[in-house]
Parts: sequence; C-alpha cells; structure tokens
Amino acid sequence: MFTSNRREVLMGAGAVSALSWVPGARAQAARQIPFTIVINNSPWFDGFRGAVEAYEKETGNKVNLDVNPFGGSLEKQRASVRARDGMFDLLIMNGLYYQEMYHGGFLKPINEIDANFKLDPQMIRYDNTVFWNEANKTHDPNGKLMSVPVNGNIPLLLYRADLYAEHKLTVPSTWDELLANAKKLHNPPRIYGIVQRGARGNPNDISYDWWPYLYSFGGSLFADEPKGDYTITINSPAAKEALDFYIRMAKEAGHPQTGGLAQAQIIQNLATGRAAHALLVIAAWSQLDDPSKSAVVGKLNAARVPGTAKGKPAPVLGHWLAGVPKNVPADRQRAALAFLNWFQTRDAQMKYLAAGAPPVRQDVLADQNLAKDPKNRWMQAMADSSDYVKLMWSVPEGSQIGDALELRLNQAVIGEMTTAQALNTLSDECHAIMQRAGYKTGKLAAL
Amino acid sequence: MASRRATHDTLWRRIALTPTILVFLAMSILPTLNLMAMSVNEISWVDGKAVWSYVGFTHYARLAEDSLLIAGLKNTAIFAIAGVAAQVLLGFLLAWAVSRIARGRVLYRTIFILPILVPGILIGAVWKLMLNYDFGLVNGFIGVFGIHPVDWLGTRAWALPSVIMVDIWHWTPFCFLLLLAGFESLPQDVQEAARVDGAGTWAEMRYVLIPMMMPVIAVTFLFRLVTSLKVFDEIYLLTGGGPGSATEVISYTIYRTFFTQDRMGYGSAMSVTVLFFISLAMIGVLMAGKRGRNAA
Repeated sequence: MFTSNRREVLMGAGAVSALSWVPGARAQAARQIPFTIVINNSPWFDGFRGAVEAYEKETGNKVNLDVNPFGGSLEKQRASVRARDGMFDLLIMNGLYYQEMYHGGFLKPINEIDANFKLDPQMIRYDNTVFWNEANKTHDPNGKLMSVPVNGNIPLLLYRADLYAEHKLTVPSTWDELLANAKKLHNPPRIYGIVQRGARGNPNDISYDWWPYLYSFGGSLFADEPKGDYTITINSPAAKEALDFYIRMAKEAGHPQTGGLAQAQIIQNLATGRAAHALLVIAAWSQLDDPSKSAVVGKLNAARVPGTAKGKPAPVLGHWLAGVPKNVPADRQRAALAFLNWFQTRDAQMKYLAAGAPPVRQDVLADQNLAKDPKNRWMQAMADSSDYVKLMWSVPEGSQIGDALELRLNQAVIGEMTTAQALNTLSDECHAIMQRAGYKTGKLAAL
Repeated sequence: MASRRATHDTLWRRIALTPTILVFLAMSILPTLNLMAMSVNEISWVDGKAVWSYVGFTHYARLAEDSLLIAGLKNTAIFAIAGVAAQVLLGFLLAWAVSRIARGRVLYRTIFILPILVPGILIGAVWKLMLNYDFGLVNGFIGVFGIHPVDWLGTRAWALPSVIMVDIWHWTPFCFLLLLAGFESLPQDVQEAARVDGAGTWAEMRYVLIPMMMPVIAVTFLFRLVTSLKVFDEIYLLTGGGPGSATEVISYTIYRTFFTQDRMGYGSAMSVTVLFFISLAMIGVLMAGKRGRNAA
C-alpha cells in the first residue's frame, strides 16, 4: 500500500508543477516573432513545408513561406538582399548561386546572430560550402559559418528494378555498362533506355546532367580551382570524350528529343513508365513512389551515378543552403536562426524525411533501420555517394558560366554545333567571363 | 484684349500639363537615364553595397559580337512580322465576317475574344501540355492519321513556328476587336452605293472596304507590332529560348542577362540599344504612314 505524508505530497506537487513549468518556460524562451523564408518550388519542397508545419506546431512560432520557381526565387533573393531593408529573413540558396551571396557580403555570419550556435556534428558539410573565409574567398572549415544545409540534392541513377530483374541485369558502375543496359531496355516509343536532361535550362538542366560525365571522364571547368588556377579546361580532350559519350547515349538508347527534355519531363517519363533510367536528384523520389502521381510505384530503385574505368563517379552538388541576410531586423534574424537550430535536430530531420524530403543529417541517412523501409530504399545510394560528391564551381560568376553552358551544350545535343565547336565556344566565353572578373585565367588550344 | 486672353490660355495650358509632364518624367525619362548611366558602368557588389565602375562604351562595343543577341534580334523580327501579319489578316477576315452577320453577332464576338481573356501563364501551361512530344493532344491528334509525333517545341525547325502559332491564337482576337469596331463605324451608304453600282464581294472588299479600313488596319498593325517586339511570356513559358537559340527573342536575352547572369551594366547597354532601334523603326513606320496619307 502506498502512503505519503503531507510534506511528501507537497513536495510531489511542487515537483509536478516544476516539471510542467519547464517545457512551458522552454516554449516561452523559444517564442519568436514571425519570419519569412524565400524558397523555390523544387520537388523536395513538400517535405520542407512538412518540416515547417511541424516546427510551427511544436513551437507555436509562425513561419511565412514565399514559394517561387527556381529562377524566380533567385531574383527575389537578389532584390531583397540589395535593398536597404530586406523582405526575406531566411534565404534558401542553391549550390549554383549561394556563392554570390557569400562574395557579395549579403549574409550575416551565423555566430554574429548567436555566438553560441553550433552546427550539429551530424549535419553534412557538403564540401564545407557552409563555411566561408572572407580573406581568401574559400570554403575553409575554420572560416565563418554562413549557412545551414537544408537539402543535399545530388543526382542518383534511378533505374527500373523490375525490368532489371526481368532481364537479369546488374546495376552499372560505369557509363559503358549503363549504356549497355539502357540499350537492352530501349524500346521506343513504349520505353526509352534512358532519359537525359538535355534542354537549355533556366538556370540549369543539361550542365547539371552532364557534369558527372565530365568529371568522371577526367574533365573539368578549371585547371585547379582550389589552388586558384582558373585556366579554362572545358575544351580538353577528356571533356570532349565526355560530351561525345553523353550524346551517344542519347542517340543509341535515349529519348529522340533529348534536347528538349528538362527535369519536369524526366520525372514525367519516369512516372509514366516510359523511361528505364535517368540521372535525377533524389528529391523527386517522393513523387515517383506516390500512387497518386506515379505508375511505377515500387518499381524504381536508386544507385550511385556511374563513373568510368579510369575515373571515379562524380555526383555533383545541387544542394541547398539556408542563410540569414544582413539587412533584416535582429529579432527576425534570431527567429530564422531558431528555426535552423530546430531543423538540425535528429527529431526534426526524421519529420523532414517522413514529409518526403531527403535528410541532411548523416546519422539519419546512415540509419540502417530507416534504410530497411522499402520507401527509403534510395538511402543506401545516397550514403554510397557521399564520398564522391563534388561541387561544380565555387566562383560567384557561376550564373554567367552556367548560362553559357546551358546554351552551348544544348546546341551540341541538338546538332546545331559539333561537340568540338560547342566546347571551344564555351572555352572562349568562360575565359572572357573570368578575365572580365579579374581572375588568373587562361585557356587551352582549340580542339 | 484678345492677346492677353491667348497668353492667359497658353499659361493655363502649361500649368495644367505640368503634373502630367512630371509624372511622365518620373516614370519614363528618369528610368531611361538611369539605364543609360548603368550601361557605361560595371556593377558589382561588395559587402552588400553596389560598386559602380565606369567602363565607357565597352559594353556597347561587345554587343556586335554577341551571337545570342543577334539571334534574338533575328527571331524577334521574324516573330513580330510573321505573327502580327497573320493576326491582322485573320482578325480582319473574322471581323469582316462577323460585321456581315445580322443576328448573333454578340455571341460570335464573345467566343472569338476568349483567348485574350486567358492569363498568359495558363496559355503557356496549356499549350506546353498540348504540344508535348510524348503525351500532347496535338501529337495524339496527328497520330490518328498515321503521322509520326513531332517535337513541336524541342526542334529547331518547329519551335519558332509553334510559338508564333500560339501567339496568333492568343492575339488574333485583339486584332479582331479593333477591326470589328472599325467595320462597324464605316459609313453604310458608301458600301450600299458600291453594291448598287454592281460591285461584287471581292470588288467591294478591294476598292471600298480595304481603303476605308486602312487607318484602322495600320493602327492595329502598329499597336500589335510594338507589343509583339516585347514578347516574353510565351517564350519564357514554352521554350526558354531553346532549343539552342531557335526561339531566343530580344526581351528574353535581356532578361537572362539581367536576372540570370546578373550583368546589369551589359544588360542596360542591350536595353538602350534595343530601345534606340525600336524607336527608330517606329519613327520610320509613322513617317511612312504620314507620307502615305499625304500622298492619298
């Protein structure tokens, strides 16, 4: 029998009231003013919205989402950070243009908002792109923390696992093996062996799709970017070999109109069962495994992108970082940072995953129990890719370079230029861009 | 006394016009002057602030070598001339046909103007789906006749004609409305006199209606030409200027230079140059029209 005296009862009541007060106090401390996030409407957006809703529910804080197309988000971010008073308190920046925000001095270093903020050790650093050394303009891990990753987009090879089983194919580790498999499954117009993002995008389609080929064939844009050698090498023999192979893939096993396919059409072809392979960011996975949006639910699987016999696979970063602008009031900066602090917790990342977005914490990505769930069968491929991930470029002139790449590579794919002409033209254009911006640059002899 | 009154009137007119002139200056001249100033500078951003570096006419010197700008100018000219000519012709024929209908004219007019009521974003989405290579309605339709699917928006041969076709669909109703108003304001007695004198449909059209409608046709053509030279939304939504540079138009080139590449100085030089040539072309067209009217 349980007995207690009055003193014990009072102590117990006090403890209960203290316990009930602690979360309340924490919630009070975490109470923030409303703030606004500017974000793109990419395939992973639904997952992000799910995380934001969970944050609002847990904390009672209000978050406004300003959702735009990819290019529109960049334009709004530029307009906001360049104004005297910014409109947006948290910028979701893509791996191809966050550089201009760092270089332009538009972001508030995170520890200047909260000196105690620490990036969780489990958060993936994505080639240290979250750090910035202002003096030498590099992603130095000892530099200032400028952003927190919110999405780890890298391309994965999506393939039709059901057809692989039917034809007894093995998952390719080289581009040659991928071409061979794609040719075996190529039966147009019922199904294309592979669909490639060959369109001239705004801001990017074909360059992002081709870059893993470029790196693994031994090509590059610059001679040695980390060491400051910006000699343009985009028209090297290796780059030509990579572009020739990309076009060969399209001709021998691809969609007949590769030059007109953007990411939306790739997803469309995969979802309708018209494509056997594609390189695609995993953010699109939730759509492809959703019975209301896809005819191939449970039939797709993911693998690391292939490489060559001589070159490693090179999934390129198309990740997204969240940064806080300088030109917004301090209380809104703190509110934005409070969200990021919550977002990097394991619990928040689990909610993010449940809402359909790939997490950015290593311990969640590598969680074997989660990976066993069939709906997370892409997680192993993500984990396999992490050692090979590479950035396309880190210069703020990336938006100009990307625009030139989109046009010339697309012209090569549609046959408006030969691959040599396209790469030589690109070399001249990229050289001019870098020269104008005052870099130490040069270029190779024309092919 | 009369002289004092005239001076007073002139003064009053000037005072009355002043607010309009000030608004015009603020909304039009000042941005153009700012654009000109930007065009001779390179603008970069350091520590969150814009840094203007004077570069003289360097940007202008580069324009002649810009293959994308040249492609944009060429495509814009084709797009504007072919599209507007077809819109005015179709609009004229539709307006003529509707003006001859005694009953149900309002119904036809309502049906014909529907496309201009549809928002541009919706037009882009609908036509992009209809012209889709794999799943589009148009390819489904021609497939019924055994014709192979065509990549309407993804091949060099078809992309620009397809975009022009969408523009014709979108803007013919606008021409139709202006021209119908013209037809309805024509004096009936001249047409009746022509018929009494034995003029057939073709003769009436050629010798009576077209000459009398010429001022309305010219205004419609000119108005549409000006707006057509500024085409952006259809290109942005349907092709993004591709494949290659097949549907690159000048507004889209300027947009990408400004907003994708973030080259404000160079983009301004492009804008100023295009503004200059379009103004020249418009002055030329207006002078030719005036000369034609004087000769008549």
